[in-house]
Amino acid sequence: MTVTDAPPLEHGVSRIKINRIGLWLFFLSEAMLFAGLIAIRFSLLGTEVDEAVSQSIGLVITVILLASSYTAFRAEHAAHKGDQAAMVQYLWATLILGTIFLGGVAFEWYEAFMEFPPGTAFGTVFFTMTGIHAFHVITGLIFLTVLIRNAKAGRYADDSWPVEAGVKYWHFVDIVWVFFYPVLYLI
Amino acid sequence: MNIVRGLIGGAVGYILGAALLMTIRVATGARAWEVESVSAGAWMFALIGWLLAVGVWRYWAREWFGLELVPYTTTGWRRYLDFDTDHKVIGIQYLVKFLTMFFMAGLFAMLMRYELMDNGEALLDSGRYNAIMSLHGTMMVFVAVAATVGAFGNFVVPIMIGADDMAFPRLNALSFWLIPPVLIALTVSFVSGGYDTGWTGYAPLSVESDVGGLFFNLAFFTLGLSSIIGALNIIVTVVTMRAKGMNWMRLPIFVWSIFVTSILSLIFTQFIALAMLMVVLDRTAGMVFFDPASGGDPLLYQHIFWFYSHPAVYIMILPAFGITLEIISHFSRKPLFGYKWAVGGLLGIMGMSMFVWAHHMFTSGMAEALRKPFLASTELISIPTGMIFLSAVGTLWLGKIRLELPMLFALAVLFNFLIGGITGVFLADVPVDIQLQDTYFVVAHLHYVVLGGGIFGLFAAIYYWFPKMTGRMMNDRLGKIHFWWMMVGFNVTFLPMFIVGLQGMNRRVADYTPDLVGTNRVISMAGFFLGTSFVVFLYNFIYSWIKGAKAPANPWGARTLEWQVPSPPPHENFEVPPIILADPYGYGEPDSDHADLGIGTLPKIQETVEA
Amino acid sequence: MSRYSSKAGRPLHDVVAFRIVSGGEQESNTRNRLVVVGVAWLIATVLGWWAVTAYDWHPFGASREARITDEAFDLLMLMAVPIATFVLVVIGYSLLRDRDRGQDVDGPPIRTNRTFVVGWLAVTTILSIVVIITPGFSGLDELRAYPEPDLVIDVKGERWSWEYTYAESGVQTRGTLMVPIDTRIMFRISSTDVIHSFWIPAFRIKMDAVPGIITTTMVTAEKLGTFESADELRVQCAELCGVGHARMWTGVSVVTEAEFDAWLEASAG
Ligand code: HEA
Ligand code: HEA
Ligand code: CUA
Ligand SMILES: [Cu+2]
Repeated sequence: MTVTDAPPLEHGVSRIKINRIGLWLFFLSEAMLFAGLIAIRFSLLGTEVDEAVSQSIGLVITVILLASSYTAFRAEHAAHKGDQAAMVQYLWATLILGTIFLGGVAFEWYEAFMEFPPGTAFGTVFFTMTGIHAFHVITGLIFLTVLIRNAKAGRYADDSWPVEAGVKYWHFVDIVWVFFYPVLYLI
Repeated sequence: MNIVRGLIGGAVGYILGAALLMTIRVATGARAWEVESVSAGAWMFALIGWLLAVGVWRYWAREWFGLELVPYTTTGWRRYLDFDTDHKVIGIQYLVKFLTMFFMAGLFAMLMRYELMDNGEALLDSGRYNAIMSLHGTMMVFVAVAATVGAFGNFVVPIMIGADDMAFPRLNALSFWLIPPVLIALTVSFVSGGYDTGWTGYAPLSVESDVGGLFFNLAFFTLGLSSIIGALNIIVTVVTMRAKGMNWMRLPIFVWSIFVTSILSLIFTQFIALAMLMVVLDRTAGMVFFDPASGGDPLLYQHIFWFYSHPAVYIMILPAFGITLEIISHFSRKPLFGYKWAVGGLLGIMGMSMFVWAHHMFTSGMAEALRKPFLASTELISIPTGMIFLSAVGTLWLGKIRLELPMLFALAVLFNFLIGGITGVFLADVPVDIQLQDTYFVVAHLHYVVLGGGIFGLFAAIYYWFPKMTGRMMNDRLGKIHFWWMMVGFNVTFLPMFIVGLQGMNRRVADYTPDLVGTNRVISMAGFFLGTSFVVFLYNFIYSWIKGAKAPANPWGARTLEWQVPSPPPHENFEVPPIILADPYGYGEPDSDHADLGIGTLPKIQETVEA
Repeated sequence: MSRYSSKAGRPLHDVVAFRIVSGGEQESNTRNRLVVVGVAWLIATVLGWWAVTAYDWHPFGASREARITDEAFDLLMLMAVPIATFVLVVIGYSLLRDRDRGQDVDGPPIRTNRTFVVGWLAVTTILSIVVIITPGFSGLDELRAYPEPDLVIDVKGERWSWEYTYAESGVQTRGTLMVPIDTRIMFRISSTDVIHSFWIPAFRIKMDAVPGIITTTMVTAEKLGTFESADELRVQCAELCGVGHARMWTGVSVVTEAEFDAWLEASAG
């Protein structure tokens, strides 16, 4: 006996579909975490936003992250079409944009540390929300790295599921940011 | 061997994580070593190290890096110590793990009852008492949340729906192997002085408690992770892996209960992770979620904690409801009465459970306006719960009841939960709760529902499925002795707790007013009596597993699928995928048939007699 | 055990080693059964009511709030008895009458029963709503039906002691809490460290002391007494707050207004 994911019973649902349902349920669960964070933010701060948040950085990294969602989308598209070279390129692009985003967050953190440290209510909320989001970005970047490495080894030529999963995850993380950005910077 | 490897992996992970964090700390100008900040972060690395070493790397992750997987060759009993992906092995791993935890937590309860025999402080001073009480509550809650789902959700649900395994077998193993670190964290917590916040860990007290408190947070967090993964797996399994013909209205009620439980876990467990995380951040990162002086809010913790923990009490009880109804139908030899209503009850409880959390906070100082809505929503939850009783009562009526062991436990669940549930209605009544909140009345209520309902349900399941899991029968005589001993012990222990609560004994104290000594003596004596009943159980459990009589495939004559395969079931469960023809409750219906197992059509072994 | 086993050699296919009894007998019996159950329920309920009213559930109560709370509890008890006895009597009756005594037969295939289901749902729904209205909402309204207080006492919880400040006179004490009888008192409760809970068992009032906010609760004492006469007359911390939690209490003395004024004057001086 070897350890593999069990094949579905003959009449059953296809493996990909099972995986897909699993992934969506995972998003549902994670969404609760982020929804909880947003609720906490309003509960502690009302609609107040600290003057000191850097609007320019916020806007720039948001745009960058949205752009990375687009490249990720192209990567998945290429994967489904079987265009391995384009897929790898777009994955690279996503990885780079994601890293820039993360750099932006780090820079913002550095600034923010002076203005509203974690010892203030706004700082607490800000660092927790961006921190948890950044943690998800980092895991996303790790997935992307593994994907690129394996794609080069030609592992996804006839099984694009891992790429699809990685890209969907990336979209999910982006969508979370689409909610976080106004909640943290604008309101 | 595997576990040693895991421990080493965990240690390496911890050290790497600690090194990384200390570097960052030095870079930002902080003191390098600070036990809490470093441990909190390093715990995540330790978890990853543990998981990788315990099997994830060999059987799973190598693949991601283009390496060959190590073939899985473990056989025999060693599989129970390895990263095995067979849902039946994992089910037994869960069962043994959580029974161990149950007995440990029970022994702590014995210490507490010893201390409470008299007023004043005897064996334990207040600090130690609180630490032991908190650990008792925490471990028992973990048992109640995860034992039944983990053990039987894994072992029987796939077979009951005609699948050959879970949808994600490796993820399944992973979620089990997150449990040992929970126990390790609790042990570390205990030896480093424990924590004195109770299982609810209210901030700001929990922010200020010793290192032990941190490991309590990490343990709860890790358990949450495991629950979420396990729940996801069960949901996907039930949605996608049902055998042909097994449509939703043919699912055994136990499967429904586990399914609904899993939805609750999947959605709400994130909030406990969040609550724990916030406390950890307040403790280690200088954040101020719960510090009013800097704009934080202590009540925020309670809202988030109960937003998870109230649904969690239904996570504890719904599997027990499922088992109870399942057993009552098979042992009354009657179709489950009002099947659709029972399913509706489960779904109703699920839907309503997210609107009642603040009934734990009636005296917390939350806005006055919140009291009435939460009073109302809480009382309304009696309606779907009543539907479970409706189904049970209707099934028993006119049945051909067999008082076998599992049936005794199932009936006990009804009896105990009736008392627990109705006293819950008392607590939901705000005027009454103002007096009773944080008294032994609540302690009695919670033991009636969690122990009298949840844990009795767990034991019903153990006695019911033991033959299937081990291939051997439990000794019936010892089982009956255990049942009556436990049932009497339980009621004599916890009924008087309602009285002392009403008399004004508050919970979480090692010392109390002298007029309550008499009743507390009775409670303690009964508590010890209850504790010793488990010696009988343990003896029976272990002896029967090794030497019990060989179990036939279907000792109870039940109709669900797991009883139609040999005991214990073969690795792939079914020779050929079964085809489901009707629901499993067709007792007394001529020619009804649950499934075609594809091993030939058989002459029906039924005869109809005129009464 | 082997009574129910699928016998050796029999293929494992949905084995039903039971005979099916075809209808007839039970239906004609239903009437009798219902009568017996009904009578048993009645008897059990009356006995239950007798038992719960004969027993005094409540400790010493000394305030208007205590009366409201205790009445609510008693009412709930009266409502709980018929619910519990109904479930127990029906189950108990089935357990006595509907046993399989070695006949190895299946029960009748009754899958549902409209009348019973609808009746059950209607009754539980009505009961829940009744419980919400009274003693739920009604009791709460009664507790909150207060005009302005006559006396305000600030309560501060601190690990592990209570400090009381009498708002107008400024008198402060950490000892016994003195309150005048028949006076509307408002407690304004706060905490300087962790969460405590201000609980006076004899008054049936309880309110958490939460750092950062001020919570309030009201009471009118109706009976004279001291901790020495009844240990329910104490302020007990009811929220776990650390090692000293169990011992975070002081006595309460309910005194006449004259005595109270005298005490206040003496303390202020
Ligand atoms: C298995 C777990 C479980 C379950 C199922 C329940 C079920 C219920 N609980 Fe309980 N509860 C706990 C576990 C559970 N509880 C725990 C652990 C605590 C303490 C936590 C802590 O602080 O440490 C607690 C505390 C607790 C409180 C807070 C007490 C306090 O601290 O002040 C309240 C208050 O409303 C409450 C109410 C209820 C109600 C109304 C139900 C209802 O769901 C019960 C419904 C059931 C019935 C009513 C009986 C069957 C129904 C019928 C026969 C139909 C007819 C009946 C009617 C119409 C009334 N519970
Ligand atoms: C699943 C849930 C569960 C279970 C089963 C129990 C079981 C028991 N509980 Fe517990 N309890 C809780 C959940 C549970 N409890 C919770 C959530 C709290 C609240 C904590 C808080 O306030 O934060 C609580 C609190 C609590 C208190 C109140 C403490 C306080 O407020 O100060 C008390 C007091 O008597 C108590 C007693 C008991 C007793 C006597 C048992 C007995 O039933 C235990 C009997 C079992 C045994 C004694 C096992 C014996 C085992 C053997 C003999 C086998 C030998 C062992 C090995 C081989 C390892 N419990
Ligand atoms: Cu103060 Cu408990
Ligand atoms: Cu609750």
